[in-house]
This record gives sequence, C-alpha cells and structure tokens, in this order.
Amino acid sequence: MFKKILIANRGEIAVRIIKACQEMDIKTVAIYSKVDKDAPHVQLSDEAINIGDPIPLESYLNIPKIIKIAKETHAEAIHPGYGFLAENPDFAKSCSDINIKFIGPPPKVISLMGDKIAAKTLMEKAKVPVIPGYHGEKQDTSSLINEGKKIGFPLLVKAAAGGGGKGMRIVHSEKLLEESIESAKRESKSAFGDNTVFLEKYIDKPRHIEFQILADEHGNVIHLFERECSIQRRHQKIIEETPSPVMTNELRDKMGKAAVNAAKAVGYTNAGTVEFMVDGNLNYYFMEMNTRLQVEHPITELTTGIDLAKWQLRIAAGEKLTLKQNDLSQRGHAIECRIYAEDPANGFLPSIGRLTKVEAPIGPNIRDDSGIYSGMEVTSFYDPMLSKLITYSENRNDNIKKMIWALSHYIVLGVTTNITFLKEVLNHAEFKKGNITTHFIDNFFKDWTITKDGLPVDAIIALAVYDSIHTKSKEIVRYKEEDPHSPWKHVGRWRVGGREV
Amino acid sequence: MFINYEHEDHVYNVTIERKNNHYFVTYDNTEYKVQAEEVKPGQLKIKIGDRIIKSIITEGEKEKFVFVEGQVFKVKPVELTSMKKRKKKDEGDLSSPISGKVVSINVKKGDLVKKDDVLMVIEAMKMEYLIRAPYDCKIKKVNFKEKDQIEIGQTTVEISKKED
Repeated sequence: MFKKILIANRGEIAVRIIKACQEMDIKTVAIYSKVDKDAPHVQLSDEAINIGDPIPLESYLNIPKIIKIAKETHAEAIHPGYGFLAENPDFAKSCSDINIKFIGPPPKVISLMGDKIAAKTLMEKAKVPVIPGYHGEKQDTSSLINEGKKIGFPLLVKAAAGGGGKGMRIVHSEKLLEESIESAKRESKSAFGDNTVFLEKYIDKPRHIEFQILADEHGNVIHLFERECSIQRRHQKIIEETPSPVMTNELRDKMGKAAVNAAKAVGYTNAGTVEFMVDGNLNYYFMEMNTRLQVEHPITELTTGIDLAKWQLRIAAGEKLTLKQNDLSQRGHAIECRIYAEDPANGFLPSIGRLTKVEAPIGPNIRDDSGIYSGMEVTSFYDPMLSKLITYSENRNDNIKKMIWALSHYIVLGVTTNITFLKEVLNHAEFKKGNITTHFIDNFFKDWTITKDGLPVDAIIALAVYDSIHTKSKEIVRYKEEDPHSPWKHVGRWRVGGREV
Repeated sequence: MFINYEHEDHVYNVTIERKNNHYFVTYDNTEYKVQAEEVKPGQLKIKIGDRIIKSIITEGEKEKFVFVEGQVFKVKPVELTSMKKRKKKDEGDLSSPISGKVVSINVKKGDLVKKDDVLMVIEAMKMEYLIRAPYDCKIKKVNFKEKDQIEIGQTTVEISKKED
C-alpha cells in the first residue's frame, strides 16, 4: 500500500479521500489555491501546499505545478477526486511518466471514454445498446444542421468532451438549431478545450440510471448495483437514490451485466460508472462512462457497506478485488441531496458570499460529506456545491421522511441555498410515488418561488427580538455613560430569560 | 422601537417593546407577548404562549439571515425615513444575472432585434447565461465588449421598444 498520496482536488471530495487515507494509515498531501487556505481539506491533510492563484487553470487544473508538488513531497500516487483533472488523460499520463500512480483507469481508457463519440461506437460493437444519433467527424455547422434534421426534433447537442451538463443543449425546433450548436461549441471549447459536438435523439420520459463498477488490475470486474439520478436541474444531478424505484431484479441483472461488459470491453480499471438512459418502457441505452469516483458514490456505500474510496486506493496499489459479484447485496434505501449555493427561484444561479453560519444535522444514518465551515467565503471560482447530505433507511418512504427531517435541520446561512427547494421536491406527490424523469424539475418546479406567503410571523418575531436585544444593548451603554439619571440605566438590570443584558 | 424589514419586495412594519421579562411584538394589528433568550450568539429561543420558536439569525454585509422551522429567509432592514421605493422589475431590464465574463456580443448599437434573440452571452463557473431580447426592440447601447468582466446587476444592453 502507498505510504503517501497527493489529492489534486478541493472541497468535500478532498476531505472524503483524506479521511479514507487516514483510516488506512496513508499520509496525505493537499494542494490549495489562495482562497482555500483555511479550507477543511487543508486543515485535515498531513501536508498542504499553496498552489497559487485561485483561477482553476492556475491552480487545480495546472498539471505541471501539481506534478512538481507531487515529486517534491514524494507522493507515490495522486487521487484526482472528481471534476478538475479527474478525467484528463494528459494528467494521468503525466503521472505515469514520472512513476506516480494515477488513482483511476489508464490514460488510454480515459481518452477513449472521454471521447463520447468513440465510446459509443465501441459500445455498439460490444453489443451494448446506444441512443440513435450523429457521432460523426463532420463538425462544420451546416453538416451538423443537416444531420440534426435527419434525426428529428427534439434532439440533444452534446459536447463530445463534456460532462455535468456543460456544453449541452436541447433543441426543440430547427429554428434554434444553429444557435444551439454554436453556443454548445463555445461552451465546450472554454470548459474542455475542445469544441467537437454530437447530436442524438431526445428520449421521451427518460430516467438516468447508472451502475457503479469496480475493476482491479487482474481482470476482475464487478458492479455494485444502480443509482437513480433522474432529478436534475440544468442537466446536473441534485438528488440521487438507490435502489431505483423502477428497478426489478431481472432488469438489474441485465443492466449490471451490460455495465460489466462495457467496462471489460475497454479494459477498465479502478472505480467507474456506466450511465444509462432508461425510457418509459424500461429500454436502456448506454450514455457514457465516467472514469472517476462519482459525486453520488456515498449512496452505493451505504446500501452495500463497501467503501469505494478505500477500494480505489487498494486497486491502484495493485491489490486484487476480494469481493465477488454473488456475495454482494443491496440493503435498505439511500438518498443523497446535493446542497448548492444557488437560487432555485432564480434560474438556479450560483450565490456567492460569506457563510455566516453552518451547522449540519446529526442523527442515526445521516451522513454529511462537507467542505464548508462557518465564516467560509463562497467564491465564483469553483463549483457552488457546498456539501452532500446522505440518509439511509429500511425503505424509500421512511428514507424520504428522514431526508426531509435532515434538510430541515441543516443550517446554512449567508448565501442562498437550494435546501428548501430539495425538501419540496422530496415532498412532491409524484416524487413520493417514484414517478420521476430527468424532466421532473422542469415539469413541476418551473416557476418555483421560496415563499408564496411571504415572511412567516415566527420569523418576524425572531427578527424583532434579535434587533431589540442587539440594538438596544448598545444604546443602553451609551445612555448609561452619558446620563447617569436616564431611565435607561434601569435597563441594565433587566434580565431576559435569566441572562444579564 | 419601530423596525421595517424588507423581504422579497415586501416591507413588514413591526413594533417591539420590552417590559420586565417580556417582549411585546406588534405586527399586522396583532400583539404577541413573548419571552426570549439568546442561548448562543444569534440563536434564539422564544416562548410564545405554550409554543416555542427556535431561530438562528446571522448578519451578512447588508442583510440578515433568519433560520426558522427549517427555512431560511433573507431580510434587509429598511430605514424608516427613507422608505425604499419598491422598484418593479421592468421586463426590459437586461441586468446581468451573474458575475462573470462576457464571451460574445451578438448585437451593436442601432440593431433591430426580435423577441428571444440572444444579445449577449455571459460565462461564469463554466456555464453560459444568455441575455435575450424581452420583446422586439432596438439596441440603444451595448455596455460591454467581449472578454469584459461583468458584475451581477450591471446592465448588459440598453434597449428601446421599437416605434412603429
């Protein structure tokens, strides 16, 4: 096993990986940009190296700087987390070039799966079902428009190198096709440095269901069941659960095998995820393979009892998978809610500012994977995800209630968050029935606002009391100093709830 | 003590007086007699009849955040003397929804554009935000150029309704 590794990430995922390392007696090196100098991952690690300017290209995306730090600190391996360099084949290659183990699949596999066009072609060959579309090389706008017309509307324009909804557009009519192609290309260019796009048929009533894979470097591949990730906004997941409410044992078996075959077809190693689109009739299509630890990995950990972050480290160190497919089982139900600094009432726009108060809920089977603290500044440099709240219960109904309780006790003040919004999604009758698709938010929460009824009376009373305590106490001091005969001087002896003012 | 709070374009007028161990809060012609304790900084336990309100309040730069019954409300205090006139958001207000970078400008001064045409593209956190024409209109002024940094609330493009 490694003695020391570097974590090329920040936020909750860096914290998650450091904790796994600590349990395994592996020393950790954190990197941080200027604005993250007090961040939790910096506090927790054994060593923390300042990597400079907060702009991602100068810090968490800067391959030469990170490689240099890894060498200087004698790290034997690098864990990339998710996002940033996690799916960057050049980074993985730069690591292996200097004999540092990249904790993830080989660079070749990352490039292959990162090229969504090549990935689909390969999956078609491996007899994994794929969605009809244009994955061709003709990338000029007029060719793309022609191909788009052939597929028909609505269709999706997707960045070949994309992920997380970036560089993705749904096009409902021919009129908007040109504009959408150009804008997707631009966004993809700036986010991924590549403007290749592809087009595909837009599936009706689609669910996003993915399978977790673990593959060792000795040819063993297992799947750890599904995650239902249909609840999305701006094409990014906000609520994930497992098991999926529509999953049957038979379908799970079929899709699980397809996922394992997909992984074997590319020679996959380490933890990965095979994403499928599932339509209203439970037909499934391969969408893409994520060659990293997913944001939503904790729900799989809770329902299988398997620590994915630790297995990533063991696999990277060359250990064999001791888990056998037939020994694995899924028990109970887990949900993850992503807590974002964003305003759901205003197009989910990110909200920045200082977190004046952070207090996570504590209770049985509640897990908070967090990268925030009271006093922290949320900046516009990085993704606005603050933390992930995960709950586990015997069954889905109980678990929805537990999650609502936990969200109601999650205190994040100072920026606008999506907490109330998440609660309302969980409380929605169709969600409770499990009738969800990737359009759920658009269908039911399009013009959502936080308060239909304005400020509740309890909030008004609390504010008035707070202001009364805080403003007057200052005045009292002043009156006492200035006029010893002022009636206010008696105020000083007032006791509010037993506390001297 | 009179206080006005502004929340989502509404102003709430409140009076609070302290007498002995109680606070008397008057709002919307109703008086609430409450007992209160600040158990930790910003954390209030308020007894109202046999009901208890637990609330956490923190102060940001300009506003206060109130956590009560699992919900957060952002409230701005309003000066009594200068009651802020409620600015109705004009649908022709093309202020930037986000702080970011201008990646493209599709129009220039004098252009006539149709409703929903994209006027400007702003990028922040790797996402694009499109500024679209709210109605058929004429471009009066473009306030930014490509690659400019733009702050939230700044007016992107000034427009005038097309005269027929």
